[in-house]
Amino acid sequence: MSVQRGGLGRVTHIIGEGLEGRIANRHLALFGLGFVGLFFVLPILLLIPESLSLGSTTPFESYRRVMNGIYVDAFVRSFLYGFVTTGVTLALAYMLSYFLAFSTERVRTAMILIIVPLWIAYIVRYFGILLFLSPAGPLADLTGFETDLLFTTPAVVIGLANVYLPFAVLPIYNSLNAIDEELVNASRVLGAGKWRTITKVIFPLSLPGLVAAGLIVFILAAGSFLGPAVLGGPKQTMIANVIAQAFLDNFNIQFASALAIVYTVLLVGLLLVFNTLFDLQEVLGNI
Amino acid sequence: MLEVDTFTKYYGELCAVEDLSFRIEEGEFVTLLGPSGCGKSTTLHAIAGLVEPTDGRIRLRGTDVTDLPPEKRNIGMAFQSTALFPHMTVRENIAYGLKMHGYSAADVEERVEESLELVDMPDHGDHKPGELSGGQQQRVSLARSLAYEPDILLLDEPLTGLDRVLREEMRGWLNRIQREVNVTTLYVTHDQEDALSMSDKVVVLNDGQAQQIDSPERIYESPANPFVAEFVGKSTQFNGTVTHENGQAVVYNDEKRIALPDSSIDDDQSVSLYVRPEDIEVSPKPTGAENEFRGIVTDIANLGNRAELSATLEDGSTALAHTTRFPDIDVDDDIFLRFPAERVIVL
Amino acid sequence: MSTRTTAQLEGVTFRALITLVFAFLLLPVLIVILTSFTPQNFPAIPQEGLSLKWYQELLADQRLLSALTVSLIVSTVSAILSAIIGTIAAIGFVRGEFPYKEQISTVMLLPMIISPVITGIALVRYFSTIQLPSGFPALILGHTVLSLPYVFLLVRSELLTYDRDLERASRVLGADPVTTFRHVTGPIISPAILAGAFIAFVVSFGEFTATQFLISPGTSTVPVVIYTMLRTGLTPTINALSVVLIVVMLVLALASRKLSSA
Repeated sequence: MSVQRGGLGRVTHIIGEGLEGRIANRHLALFGLGFVGLFFVLPILLLIPESLSLGSTTPFESYRRVMNGIYVDAFVRSFLYGFVTTGVTLALAYMLSYFLAFSTERVRTAMILIIVPLWIAYIVRYFGILLFLSPAGPLADLTGFETDLLFTTPAVVIGLANVYLPFAVLPIYNSLNAIDEELVNASRVLGAGKWRTITKVIFPLSLPGLVAAGLIVFILAAGSFLGPAVLGGPKQTMIANVIAQAFLDNFNIQFASALAIVYTVLLVGLLLVFNTLFDLQEVLGNI
Repeated sequence: MLEVDTFTKYYGELCAVEDLSFRIEEGEFVTLLGPSGCGKSTTLHAIAGLVEPTDGRIRLRGTDVTDLPPEKRNIGMAFQSTALFPHMTVRENIAYGLKMHGYSAADVEERVEESLELVDMPDHGDHKPGELSGGQQQRVSLARSLAYEPDILLLDEPLTGLDRVLREEMRGWLNRIQREVNVTTLYVTHDQEDALSMSDKVVVLNDGQAQQIDSPERIYESPANPFVAEFVGKSTQFNGTVTHENGQAVVYNDEKRIALPDSSIDDDQSVSLYVRPEDIEVSPKPTGAENEFRGIVTDIANLGNRAELSATLEDGSTALAHTTRFPDIDVDDDIFLRFPAERVIVL
Repeated sequence: MSTRTTAQLEGVTFRALITLVFAFLLLPVLIVILTSFTPQNFPAIPQEGLSLKWYQELLADQRLLSALTVSLIVSTVSAILSAIIGTIAAIGFVRGEFPYKEQISTVMLLPMIISPVITGIALVRYFSTIQLPSGFPALILGHTVLSLPYVFLLVRSELLTYDRDLERASRVLGADPVTTFRHVTGPIISPAILAGAFIAFVVSFGEFTATQFLISPGTSTVPVVIYTMLRTGLTPTINALSVVLIVVMLVLALASRKLSSA
C-alpha cells in the first residue's frame, strides 16, 4: 500500500535520498520549517506592521483603541470563559478518564465513543447543542420543556465544554493508565480507603495529564470563534469574534491585526510560563 | 579474503575503534569477541559499509572496498534483530537480495527454494516473519543473507535473543551450515562460549583495540593479557613477584609458594597467575604435592555433567575448581586444592 | 448503612454520572442526525415515520452541491500536500541531527496552537500581498498549513519506532537508497502516512473559522454554508448537509485509525 503514485515518483526519490543521508536530513527538516515559516509564521509576523499605521503621526492608534472598554471586555471574557470552560471540562474529563482507566473492561468501545466527536466538524456539534437549547428546537417540541439558555453565557460554556471534552480525556486517561496498579493495591493494603487512595495516590500521579489537558482546553476555548458565534448573543462576544468582526464587517485590517497581536502576545506569555513548568512537546504529543 | 587494515572510527571526540587490523582467510570462521561497547559492532558495520571509517582500509578479495556503498560489496549479513522485512513473506524476503543482485526470475525462484531447504524450512515460504518463532526468524535471516552467495557472511549477535537450549542447538547448526556452504564468516558476539565453540580464529576486542588474535584453544590456554584471561573462561587468580629457587621460577602468594611452568622468566617481575577450574584437583586431605592450598568450601554448583566448587583460600581469595557431579564434599568442609605448575598461566 | 451498601451506592452513582457525561458528549451529534429525517419543515424529532425529503432537497440545491464539491477538492488536495510535506519534515526531524531540535520542532505544531481566526486574517492578508488568487489556491494552501501538524505528529511517532536495521539489511542485500525506500521503508511507514493524510482530510473538511476568510464568492465550503444557513434560520436541510459531513469525516477517520493501529 502506498500513497505515492504517478507523478509523485520524484517525491519518493527525494524522501529516499533523505532517508539514506544523501540529502542531509536537516535539509528535510528545513524544508518543513520553511513551509510553515513561509505560509504561517511569516504571515502572522506581518500582522505586526499591518497593525501599525507607520508614517502617520499616530502609529499606535489601533493599540490605543484596543484599550477601549468594549474590547478590554472581550479580552477579559475570552480568558474568563476559557478558565470556566477548562474547569468544567476537566471535571467531566476526569470522571470519564477514571472510568476508562479503572472501572470498565470495554475501554476500546468507550474510547471510540469519546473520540468520535473529535472527528466531527465543530460547526455540526455546535449546531447540535443549538438544537438542544433552542426554545423552538426538537427537545422543546418533544417534551414541551423550554430552556431559555440559548444566547447566554452558560450556553457558550456548555458548548465549549462539549466540543473540547475529548481533547481533555486523552492526556488525563494516559496519565491515569500509566499508574502502576501495584501502587493502588499497595495503598489499599496499607489501610487507605478508596477515597483516600484517590486523593493521596491516584490524583497526585495524574496531575501532569490534568495540567496538559487544562492547557489544551484553555488555549482552544479562549480562542474559540464558533462557540460564541453560534450559541452566544451580543453580550457573549469573545476576542475571536471581535477580530473577525473588525476584519469582515468593518474592513479594519489594522485594528483586527492589533487585536490579534495583543491576544497572541498574552497567550504566548502564558505558554512560556507553562513551558518552564512542563514540556510543551509532550503535552501536544498527547493529542 | 577479508583484510581490515588499521581501521579507526571516531564518533565526534569519542573513539570507538582504534587501529584495528586482522585478516580472514577463505572459508574461515572468525569471531570478534568482546564486552558490549568494545567496538565490535562498529567494526562489523564498517566492513558492511554501513559505517564510514575515520581512518584505515577494508579490502575484500584483494579489492579496496572502503569507499563502496554497502550494496556494491556483495556481503551477507544477519542482524541480531533479524531485520526481516515485516511486510514481505519469508519467500519474498529471501528473493529480495537475489533480485537486487540481478538474478533472473527463474533463478530467483530456484534459489529461494534451495535456501529454504538449506535452513530446514521448506514449508514456511509463505509465512510472514511475525508468524515465526525467534529461532525460525534467525534461520530465515541466515537463508536470506546466503542466497546470493556473498563473498563473506557477517553475523551480528544472531543468537543473543535466544534461550540457552536453543542457543546451543543453533551453534552446532550454524557451524554445519557454514561448512556446507563453505562461506567465509565473521561472527560478532559478547558470549565467550559462542566464540570458543564455533570459531577457527577469535579476535578479542576491548576498548576499541584488539587484545589477542588467535585460535580458540590459544585464547583459552595462553591468553595474551589479563583482560583476555579474565574475559574468556573462569579462573582462580593469584598475584605476586617472581623469584627463583633452585633454578625454578616461583611466586610467593601470602607466604604460599607457587611454582611456575617456565623458569626463563626474570626475577622481581610483578605477575598475575591464572589457573583454570578444570586444572585444579580437590581432596579432603593434603597430599603434599606442590602448589597445594587449603580452603573452605563456600558453594557447590551442579552444572549437570560436573560440579563447580567455590572455596575461600587462607588469604581470603576465591578459588574455582571442577569436580565430579556429586563430590563427597559439603559446603563449609575443609579441603585441599592443587594444580600442576605447567598449568599455571603467567601474565 | 454498612460499608458494602455505601460502596454499592457510590458505584451506582458513579455509573449514572458517567452515563450522563456520555449523553452530554454524544447527544448533540445524535440529535442532528435524527432530526435530519423529519418530514416537518423544521428540525424536529420524527415521530410519525422518517423522511428523506431534506436529502432530496440537498441534491436539488446547486449551491450546496457546489460547496460539497469545493470541500472535497480542497480537502483532498490539501491532505495530499500535507501528507507529503509532513512526512518530509518528520523524517528530517527524526533522522536529522541539529542543535535545539526538539524546541525547533514546536514550530511545526504552531498551526494547531494559534487561534484559527488569527491564522485566517494573517493568511488572507499575506495571500493578497503575494498575489495568490483567493478561492482554491488560498483555501488549499491554508488548509495544508492547518492540517500539517497532524501528519507531522503521526509520521514522526511511526518513524521513532521504526527499526533502522531494516534499512541496513536492505542496503547490504544490494539495494541502493532509493530502492530501499521504495521497497522497505516506504511500504512500512506508508500506512502511517496514509493515516496522516486521512486525518488531514478530516481536519480540512471540518475547518470553518480560518476558512471563512479564505473563501471567494464561488468557493464556499460545506462548513461555511452550514454556518451561513444557521444565521438565516433553522431548516432540516442544514441537518441533511451536516449528516453528509459527518459520514464523510467518520469514514475517513475510522479508516485512518485502522491504518495507524495496524
